[in-house]
Amino acid sequence: MTTHARAFPAPSGAPVTGQEHWTTKKKGDVRLFLWNKYVGSPDAPLGRILFVHGSSMGSQPTFDLKVPGRDDSSAMDVFARLGYDTWCVDMEGYGRSDKHRPINCDIATGADDLEAATDYIFSVRGNTPLLVYGISSGALRAALFAQRHPERVKRLALDAFVWTGEGSPTLEQRRKKLPEYQAKHRRPIDRDFVRSIFTRDHPGTADDVVIEAFADAILALDDSVPTGTYVDMCANLPVVDPEKILVPTIIMRGQYDGIAGFDDLVRFFTKLPNPDKQFAVMPGIAHASFHQKNYAIVYHILHGFFSQPDPIYRGH
Amino acid sequence: MTGSRSPVAPAAPGGAAGLPAVHGEAHWTRKGDVRLALWRKYVGRPDGKRPLLFVHGSSMSSRPAFDLEIEGRPASSVMNVFARLGYDTWCVDMEGYGRSDKHRPINCDVATGADDLAAASAYILAATGADRLLLYGGSSGALRAALFTERHPERVERLALLALVWTGEGSPTLEQRRKKLPEYLANTRRPIDRAFLRTIFERDHPGTADDRVIEAFADAVLAYDDSVPTGTYVDMCANLPLVDPARIPVPTLVLRGQWDGIASFEDVVAFFARLPNPDKHLAVVPGVAHASLHERNGAIVRHLLHAFFDRPRPVYRGEP
Repeated sequence: MTTHARAFPAPSGAPVTGQEHWTTKKKGDVRLFLWNKYVGSPDAPLGRILFVHGSSMGSQPTFDLKVPGRDDSSAMDVFARLGYDTWCVDMEGYGRSDKHRPINCDIATGADDLEAATDYIFSVRGNTPLLVYGISSGALRAALFAQRHPERVKRLALDAFVWTGEGSPTLEQRRKKLPEYQAKHRRPIDRDFVRSIFTRDHPGTADDVVIEAFADAILALDDSVPTGTYVDMCANLPVVDPEKILVPTIIMRGQYDGIAGFDDLVRFFTKLPNPDKQFAVMPGIAHASFHQKNYAIVYHILHGFFSQPDPIYRGH
Repeated sequence: MTGSRSPVAPAAPGGAAGLPAVHGEAHWTRKGDVRLALWRKYVGRPDGKRPLLFVHGSSMSSRPAFDLEIEGRPASSVMNVFARLGYDTWCVDMEGYGRSDKHRPINCDVATGADDLAAASAYILAATGADRLLLYGGSSGALRAALFTERHPERVERLALLALVWTGEGSPTLEQRRKKLPEYLANTRRPIDRAFLRTIFERDHPGTADDRVIEAFADAVLAYDDSVPTGTYVDMCANLPLVDPARIPVPTLVLRGQWDGIASFEDVVAFFARLPNPDKHLAVVPGVAHASLHERNGAIVRHLLHAFFDRPRPVYRGEP
């Protein structure tokens, strides 16, 4: 701790620059929307973060949420003010990215999107490996991407992650609708559905004003979302192999999160080969951690992991 | 409060590096007829700062472990580092070690260490006016700290356990150590020397610490002790488990060196999984063996400790 000022500062109020970017995949057939925020210069001293969203929302509602009276609801603003260059990207089928292909945009499609997004970020910022954070199915996308491209990931944070699905109450419920998800490429979403993300595990973990602002932001971009990640999580787990994730990794587990059994995550963690690895349980948190009452703990853990000093000694 | 205070300041001048000066104070308390030596360091004034108590392991007293001062290496003293981060830092020589009393004919086992921590924490809480401590223990110091927390959870705000062993199953270090168990059982103290202290850094993975640090550490340890109690070795070889993770109700960090042979990885994970407090964190530290604060990657350990001790309190804790 001699070189990294780790005490978590309150958001400084420094103006944050936001810029939209676009890239393509499939030889230009699919346009992907990226959103970038930083303070001052994008040559951020603490590194460059790529945030990866989950199954039921675009990227900005998750990572750049504005809530009246709360200047730290945007994780991108908070981390930009801490000294990071922050990015997020709408996966194909979500938000402002293209939705025209007749596919369900599964986890592997998301990992393709992350390949295209990182190609782009490297083209405008240089080939510096990224700090990658994924939540829920975004954690699966991020993990699969890290498995395919370890050279692009400096440190990997997996929040609300599930590996095999064994012992998951949420997936047990979700499987009841699997035939419906398999029959369609998209599923409708509405305000009640968004609220259910916050109430299904443990009601009370989030403030109503945040839930409503989150729902407003999601529904402004999407009234339906792809089914692919739900199908994968209900029927195709595991979709990643921990033994092939070579980068430093943290598992972030909400106390009440029903997406995975605790033992499922411990087994995944045990198999991770990189000796730089952590498992954090977050008190009073369910599934959508950044938008819960205890969000400051989530920011703190993530900043701690991303700003950890590199090893001086790595063995022979 | 039973005890006394004798200011010794400043202990660590800021020097050329421009770091703030750290003040050191010797304190004493009693456990019955046993005198225990405490050492406190802080920057400026200690008022209102969170007390952080460091607990040492089997083969050294507290100051060589936590306040090792090496010219040009300000981070070798973890007490100085944390004092400069704004903590009110303390360590205590367990009975039988360093400047604490050594007159009783006992082997000073882990339970004795937990008794020492009860006495030391009572003194520190009275001296500071704080309700609870931040507590760090390394190796058998982790066992002492964990057992003390089991007994007095109301005194511990957050608990960090480094180089912990729980059941001992699959521990290469303890398998070797057991070969000398009859000798440890037959004596209340065992001799230590420079060659022995070097093995702490070399037994798991040579190269994790700089020779200069190892030598300075040995100098400091041997300045206080040429023998140490056998009790924690006996406990770790023959009496594990000594603590029950299910009875440690406070927020807990478990730190595990990549090459630490004191415990198998599975043993540490099984302990972590049973901790009941939902505020818990397990970190594997790369490139580190057993004596991590004095190893080359000590900055990672300090970073993890500060991040854990500094974590925001939950706003929401669920329904009662």
